[in-house]
Amino acid sequence: MLATGVVGAVEDPWIRWSWISGHADIIAAALVQHIQLTLIAVVVGLVIAVPLGLVAWRSRVFRGPIFSLTGILYTIPSLALFSALVPFTGFTILTSEIGLVSYTLLILIRNIVVGLNSVPDDVREAAQGMGYRPLAELVRIDLPLATPAILAGVRIATVTTIGLVTVTALIGEGGLGSLIYDGLLRDFKTPLVVGTVLSVALAVVADLSLAGAERVITPWSRARATT
Amino acid sequence: MNFANQVLQWFLNGAHWQGDGGIPHRTFEHLAMSGASVLTAAVIALPVGIAIGHIGRGGILAINISNIGRAIPSFAVLVIAVELFGIGALPAFIALVALAIPPMVTNSYIGMREVDADVREAARGMGMRERAVLLRVELPIALPFIMAGIRTSAVNVVATATLAALVAWGGLGRFIVDGFGLQDYPMMFAGAIMVAILSLIVEFSLAGAQRLATPAGLRPSKTVQKEEPLGTTRDTAMVAA
Amino acid sequence: MYLKRIFVLGASMVALALVTTSCGSTGGPSSSASPKGTVTIASFNFSESIILAHIYGGALKNKGYTVVYRDKLGNREIVEPALENGQIDLYAGYAATDLTFVEKRQSVTLDAGTDAQANVQKLNSLLSSKGIKALDPSPAVDQNAFAVTKAEADQNHLVKLSDVSSVASGWTLGGPPECPQRPFCQPGLESVYGLHFKAFKALDAGGPLTYAAFKSAAINIGLVFSSDGAIAANDLIVLQDDKHLQQADNIVPLIRTTVANSEVTALLNSIDAKLNTPDLTALNKSADVDKQDPADVAATWVKDHGF
Repeated sequence: MLATGVVGAVEDPWIRWSWISGHADIIAAALVQHIQLTLIAVVVGLVIAVPLGLVAWRSRVFRGPIFSLTGILYTIPSLALFSALVPFTGFTILTSEIGLVSYTLLILIRNIVVGLNSVPDDVREAAQGMGYRPLAELVRIDLPLATPAILAGVRIATVTTIGLVTVTALIGEGGLGSLIYDGLLRDFKTPLVVGTVLSVALAVVADLSLAGAERVITPWSRARATT
Repeated sequence: MNFANQVLQWFLNGAHWQGDGGIPHRTFEHLAMSGASVLTAAVIALPVGIAIGHIGRGGILAINISNIGRAIPSFAVLVIAVELFGIGALPAFIALVALAIPPMVTNSYIGMREVDADVREAARGMGMRERAVLLRVELPIALPFIMAGIRTSAVNVVATATLAALVAWGGLGRFIVDGFGLQDYPMMFAGAIMVAILSLIVEFSLAGAQRLATPAGLRPSKTVQKEEPLGTTRDTAMVAA
Repeated sequence: MYLKRIFVLGASMVALALVTTSCGSTGGPSSSASPKGTVTIASFNFSESIILAHIYGGALKNKGYTVVYRDKLGNREIVEPALENGQIDLYAGYAATDLTFVEKRQSVTLDAGTDAQANVQKLNSLLSSKGIKALDPSPAVDQNAFAVTKAEADQNHLVKLSDVSSVASGWTLGGPPECPQRPFCQPGLESVYGLHFKAFKALDAGGPLTYAAFKSAAINIGLVFSSDGAIAANDLIVLQDDKHLQQADNIVPLIRTTVANSEVTALLNSIDAKLNTPDLTALNKSADVDKQDPADVAATWVKDHGF
């Protein structure tokens, strides 16, 4: 619409296959960067979320503030969060990652807490009765039983992050978002389409793989009605 | 002047509160666009979700439409809308409506399915006609979930409306984008603060509305929402934009 | 049992991260930089700048330098400070606009003129203390221009910017967000031509948003760039700058003295001498209208001109 139907302008089809084949390396690089940014965010998010989740689970005092803070971070629109960070951390990967990690925290922490809460009381009592000390109980009973919920959280966090990575194109990173942004800047539909399709495909693949992983790690969860 | 002071000075500057580019007008633009999009999406999505939930068919689609919607980056939806419709309020509106629909369909479907089969049976057994079953039995039970869907969509829409400033629309995102372009960090940060506050206000008011919409007998502390982790069939998770 | 599985999942995620890290390039300089050193070249957010950056870079690479690109880094408010603090080494500037920008930054009186050489000299006097040198300006020029649709021009008999004064008060001006603050943009139109527009719409720097705004009549007059290849293609005409608001915006490389050795300087100067405005316009058209890659367009020019 921006440049079509105009005298002298070349029609810009939605997909120019020649562009795709000629830019396979750029597309691949964007995809790889996208995966990297996502993985870092989710892994770091987990590293932060697990201890915070344990604290929130055990401590009534801290539960409220932890959920409130991560909830606030989650609600703040991504462009706003990234822009707020730029004056302090510049146009760097750090800025992108601080933002991306923040968005994973609520989902991960909430699911960790709910997962740990769902461990039946009689199981925990039995474990204590058998002589498990708290740390051992946590590692060998509670966390494994909470795993389906935690993995469900990892799934959502991953898919959400994949979408958010595209916005980092505006602060110098981008992954597949840089293709989308390029499409906008040049009124060029092909990179826009490629970036979008690959982004969605990546999210679907990630979601299905994690669903598969969930089934492998916790075979008993197949009995539950999970998506 | 340290940065916090600069931001404060930006807010105290009277010129920033006047005219089409001023804070009040931009806030109004942002809210109006968000409200219109959510309302329009609700008119489309709620009947669909409720109908599917009432009938009990098409569940797989209803649930997965949210997953698919979550997988499509909102930034991309905006740019595609602009490629299709040019710049301005219309493409922004269309993109926002498209983004708002999935969570509402899914959540209203789930809400309708929450109704115990026995309760439905009992109602029919009492002689209630289908429409009465729907309006007086199912909807009240489904209402909190429907509200959760609206809430998710609303927060989503407010967030994506921020991005719409990138494609020459207005709203509060304008301060962020222009601040970016001018390297005027106080403006950019002020814009970010305003957007954040607006999003939180929307989230909390709708959370309150959701609680009010929950029939007393189903109020939280015992409801499913608290107990089920996000990501299972009863997922009412929010989506960030 | 399940611990083992969790461990396996975790390990495979970490492994995937490591693999993708080693596969992907994050744009940093390669570990095997050439002995001649690395030059980091930035470009603004539009095709012409990217093309120029890649012309400079392509020629430097052919001479054995390692080139790192920071394409679409941003607008001048981002790029020029990056040059001052050494984050980048080189960018293709525009004599009068860069001079005005630097003068404002250093709170010096603004006096860019129509003589490119004079502008460059003044630039150098201001930038030498920052370790930056402006090289020789090119005959190729790209300056701000204001365009209206052909239909609008015909209807109101508009040929030059002065003609707009009769309709300005009801018109909307479109331009990049920084336009209300740039002397060559809105403030200049007000002070030199007495044009006070009803409204300003923030778009982009003569890019797709501006053209779209013309299409949807969201603006009546908009900033474009004089070497833009898409002006005619979009049924727009540029109004003459009869009162000479725009000064000499010749292309000039701005480079950190640490990388500006005699070979680099001579190379960039000879590139500049060979650039001209019609060529530049044609290059822009290939990128913006024909959708060719700016980097490819640049590479072709480098080859054709023996660099």
